[in-house]
Amino acid sequence: MNRSVKEYRTGLLLVLPAFILVFFILFLPTLNTFRLSFSHFKFPRGVQGSNGLQNYIYILKDREFLQSFLNTINFAAVSVLFEVLFGIFLAVIINKAFIGRGLVRTVILFPWVLPTALNAIVWRWLFNTDFGFINSMLRTLHIISTNINWLGKIPLAMNSMISVAIWKTSSFIALMVLTGLQTIPMQVYEAAEIDGASRQQQFLKITVPLIIPSILLALLFRSMDALRSFELPFSLTQGGPAGSTQTLSLFGYRQFFQYLKFDLGAVVSVVQFLFILVLGILYIRLLRRDES
Amino acid sequence: MERFLTALFLIVTLAALPLSASGGDEGSENISVQIGISTREVGAAMPSMIERFEAENPGISVEWNKVPGVPNDQHTLYVTNLAARSDKPDVMAVDVIWPGEFIANGWAEPLNEYFSEDFFDQYLDGMMNSVTRDGQYYGVPLYTNAIHFFYRKDLLDKYGLEPPSTWEEMIQQAQLIQEKENNPDLVGYISMWAQIEGLFMNYLQFLWGAGGQFFNTSGKAEVNTAEGIKALGTMVDMIYKNGIAPESILTYKPNDAMALFRQGRAVFMVVQDFVWPMLNADDSPVKGEVVMDRVPYFKGNENTDTVCMGGWILVMNPNSENKEAAARLIESLTSEQSGIELGTLAGSMPARKGMENNRQLLSEYPIAETLYKDFAVGDVRPSARLGSNYSEVSHIMQKEVHAALLQQKSPAEALDDAQQQIDALLN
Repeated sequence: MNRSVKEYRTGLLLVLPAFILVFFILFLPTLNTFRLSFSHFKFPRGVQGSNGLQNYIYILKDREFLQSFLNTINFAAVSVLFEVLFGIFLAVIINKAFIGRGLVRTVILFPWVLPTALNAIVWRWLFNTDFGFINSMLRTLHIISTNINWLGKIPLAMNSMISVAIWKTSSFIALMVLTGLQTIPMQVYEAAEIDGASRQQQFLKITVPLIIPSILLALLFRSMDALRSFELPFSLTQGGPAGSTQTLSLFGYRQFFQYLKFDLGAVVSVVQFLFILVLGILYIRLLRRDES
Repeated sequence: MERFLTALFLIVTLAALPLSASGGDEGSENISVQIGISTREVGAAMPSMIERFEAENPGISVEWNKVPGVPNDQHTLYVTNLAARSDKPDVMAVDVIWPGEFIANGWAEPLNEYFSEDFFDQYLDGMMNSVTRDGQYYGVPLYTNAIHFFYRKDLLDKYGLEPPSTWEEMIQQAQLIQEKENNPDLVGYISMWAQIEGLFMNYLQFLWGAGGQFFNTSGKAEVNTAEGIKALGTMVDMIYKNGIAPESILTYKPNDAMALFRQGRAVFMVVQDFVWPMLNADDSPVKGEVVMDRVPYFKGNENTDTVCMGGWILVMNPNSENKEAAARLIESLTSEQSGIELGTLAGSMPARKGMENNRQLLSEYPIAETLYKDFAVGDVRPSARLGSNYSEVSHIMQKEVHAALLQQKSPAEALDDAQQQIDALLN
């Protein structure tokens, strides 16, 4: 009894520094954001009393907010879908035993390891209409005769941005799926082979069901990430042309740091937070059901 | 044992905290002043300016915080620091459109107690207006620049053309040269029409050149005017009807335009003057073939100011711990000697009075004469009157102008939409 109380106390003490840190840098600012979203805020005096739901009404009526919201969903849905498809494809390849597998596994991760902002700047030059590598290559190969305006057309600019995201993060999904693939014992496949199952049947009936938890986990991480995408549109297009690649995070950033409207920026953050929270709960439900 | 371990852990953790906070300063009596300024327009001159200051002020060392070159990024950086009451940077170079907001928020130290009235009188009046409030001065102008018109003299000479002074002439000449040269890689006109601040400045130049103004005579922001529609309509036509500007212009920032023009792939260009040294560098394919001039106007509007001016101001951080040293640095960087270095080494024109007659500047940087001549037909963005709403108004204009340039809306629709949003914001 005495010993367990002692242990309990020691445990508390050990956790305390981390808890204090998390409380001050995570929990408190989150609460403050909620409070801000219901306040009237004016620089530099700060909060000037409550504003009820006025901030929310103002933002929800804003056409640019709606556009950014739809852009974000478009970006997240399409990029995550293709990332998962490519990710599974890559994972199946690098799960096979072949010469130089270690090297291939490393190379595949390169785009993911590089910072997004850096990627975006590199791609901005690659996509440049008049002296970019992509158009120059396509012209040399006689695939196109006039330059394609990758980042200056609607909806092409959004598609270009999505392709950069897919290029960058498919390997992350591949890594997650690979861990799932490696937990499948070889004996299962051997048994299936003896029972006369074809390669295709093996993939669909054994591989896919067994890696679904990893896929769901990858989906959860990537969807959350894609829904708060900021660096990519910021560095690649700055939201243009005509706001067609502006994401919610970029819209919120403008409210915060360019217009210094912290109350409206907080509304955007809260909306984004709630949206991602609901989505996250749904995913986790799915995961749990799958496990049981 | 357990208790001992716990205690040890806590002691080590707590002891480490102040360690990370101190570090540095101890042992040296040197005062360090940090200046936040990007390399973009002053990079070539800063090292020698800092060196001279340090030589003249023993005991003060300067730390150059090379902030991002994109103004919006700089603004974010400064606002983050200032809102957190950081004492760094001690001195900040700010865009001419920011002082109103900085003063209102208490982010710029009043400078009257550091300098005399005569000191402030040395700088261009227009630039000083942006830092003056209720008789207090909150900043010192470092340099001024503007958006100018560039053309390829060799190409104009080849077809016996006189340099254009109106947009109508320019469009005609661009079409003619494009047709005669028959080179699919040559564009008639290039500028920075990406959804950035530069797009709004570009639009203003067209607007002023059509005889329009951002505010109407009673001081109300009025953008859906006949002149506005003419200005925006001309921009749209330059892409789709006259075919002199490529559609990719809608993704172009100043450096992209400079790169294309420098490769000899554009006849006319409208960007800021900071590109001049790059266009005339020894490895530039168009070296010696480029002429810089004032931005054109529309026929019949000879007397309009069409050069959109900008510039950078040095302000002092009110939280600085070395204000006296910071003031000395501001004084040194805005001195005549520094101005000459800024002009000759970096191509940024000091915002000082009388520099157009400075022999040393003119002999080493002859283009200064053209620059100051263009400044004479220059105007500034409507930032002073819009105050802290300026950046949002500018964003609305960028977005709507871009929508028209993408042919999502007609110029009239785009400007009506802009008007509606601006009215909602300002009222």
